[in-house]
Amino acid sequence: MRLVLTRDERIGVELDGGMIDVSAAFADIRYRTSADRMPRVMAVLHERRTDLERMAANGAPSAMPALQAPVPRPPKLIAAFGNYREGAERERQTQDMFLESPDSVIGSGDSVVLPNHPAPIFHHEAELALVIGQRAKDLPADERALAALAGYTCAIDVSARGLGRIGPSRIGKSFDTFTPLGPAIVTIDEIPDPQNLHVTLAVNGEPRQDYSTRDMEYSVVEILAYISSFMTLVPGDVIMCGTNHQGLGALQDGDQVTMMIEDVGTLSVAVRDPQRRAWPRGIDQDMADRQRAVGVS
Amino acid sequence: MRIVAFDDGKLGVVANDETVVDVTDLLQQFDPLGAADLLPDLITHFDELRPELDRKVAAGGGKPLAQVKLNSPLTRPAKIVCLMGNYREGTDRPLQILDLFFKSPEGIAGPGDTVVLPPHQADIFHHEAELAVVIGREAKDLADAEAMDAVFGYVVYNDISARGLGRTGINSFLGKSFDTFALFGPWIVTKDEIPDPQALHVTVDVNGERRQDYSTSDMERPVSELMTYISSVTTLHPGDVICCGTNHQGLGSVQDGDAMVTAVSGIGSFTVHIRDEHERAWQRGIDRAAGERVKAAAQHPVAQVSGRTG
Repeated sequence: MRLVLTRDERIGVELDGGMIDVSAAFADIRYRTSADRMPRVMAVLHERRTDLERMAANGAPSAMPALQAPVPRPPKLIAAFGNYREGAERERQTQDMFLESPDSVIGSGDSVVLPNHPAPIFHHEAELALVIGQRAKDLPADERALAALAGYTCAIDVSARGLGRIGPSRIGKSFDTFTPLGPAIVTIDEIPDPQNLHVTLAVNGEPRQDYSTRDMEYSVVEILAYISSFMTLVPGDVIMCGTNHQGLGALQDGDQVTMMIEDVGTLSVAVRDPQRRAWPRGIDQDMADRQRAVGVS
Repeated sequence: MRIVAFDDGKLGVVANDETVVDVTDLLQQFDPLGAADLLPDLITHFDELRPELDRKVAAGGGKPLAQVKLNSPLTRPAKIVCLMGNYREGTDRPLQILDLFFKSPEGIAGPGDTVVLPPHQADIFHHEAELAVVIGREAKDLADAEAMDAVFGYVVYNDISARGLGRTGINSFLGKSFDTFALFGPWIVTKDEIPDPQALHVTVDVNGERRQDYSTSDMERPVSELMTYISSVTTLHPGDVICCGTNHQGLGSVQDGDAMVTAVSGIGSFTVHIRDEHERAWQRGIDRAAGERVKAAAQHPVAQVSGRTG
């Protein structure tokens, strides 16, 4: 099942490219904003599955309306550090993660707005994202961990480089609009193997990132086990599994970005830069080589 | 005015330093979804509520402070924004570049609570006492002149930190995001009672022994500058909290059985207890090596390639 949230606050199931409104299945959930509402919807998604399937089977899909992010302001937005082998032959690196501002999330069809901070470059980082469906602590590093998930979605971890004090500073990933997320939450039953998904990202139709989640150093269940050994996960939390840096490139004013994960969805955003700065177009090969070298050492 | 959370789900105002006046009912008009909404609602509507709050406090009544269970005054902030090292610490150096990280809001604990050390093989678990700023309104791209308008008040914070975990050594911040590692208390003091946030005295005592002991006058970037910079990155909301960083001179370990008191002058103090199922032991007293390391690192910061410096 593929769950979406429309800009006019309806909850829908995506079917044959259209949408069936299933808001009625969640009518008992009190909320004030979509930010309050979607974590509560995530928490009951599994138990209401039968109702939702019945509504979807009996409804006629209407054209897909404009969407917002399926979790517009997650309780926590967690990101894995470089978590792909990227062609390097080496021991696994130590696992590490950090939190980003949940206010950075936007939806498919929205615009990334580059801030007036003098970053040397703004990169796209296409990532598989996990959406939590159950409160969870100390999950095991095996298939049982997947029960904590509501599902999967696409994320672009937009990254301003060179800001802050420390080498890989994370502040440049937390600007407002820097985490496009969506379009749908795809429940775990639709993805038999999360370690065999094809991720691509193109800018203005030119291919940039193109990799498989097979190359992850730490798998989805290992990520869940690790982060939940630190902190309690709650419904609506979003965990980004890291990117493969081979194929990163600049984002700049006027760009149209399309990210796809096979069987998960297509996420499209525009880029706006009020300062109209310009960077070389195409893949940033220096960045790719640097990342590979760091991984090896 | 002093705002407290108490008895697991209530919000109140402290009257005459002695009693807690329950204002939970007054906040029902905003239709909270849960206890976590009470404080943001109070902050959002504070100006219109203030006459009624003042009247309730003046009317007396309420429960003696000693008879309520105080909780973290922040129940579940949407964001905990933490500054990286933001004190001069006796060094004579140019301003460092401002940097920050986010801490898990699931880590909240408060007065009387217990910090539970996880089984992870950290080198040490440190306390880091800090002044923290509670946000008063939605804010993005604050101008210098309005920066302090977006402050609601101040609270005492202790940023419990597991060292040596993750990949990036001292630059990994995941060891600060364990459950029970974000300590706030004892109440939020509204900004009208703190005329100068850069003249407050911060202390930590562990089992009666003085550890941290510093003044917020030593901050590299004052509160007003933190407000403008952070709001240039991310939208701030009522009830979000900015933790201003610590002075690392005076850090020490926290370990099983410790009782720790964190205090900021003009705000108050609160006690927490430490539990470690593994009963690990570290040298007691001030960790001077950690203090020296921070000083040395700060003298030779990683060169910034580019970027705004504040």
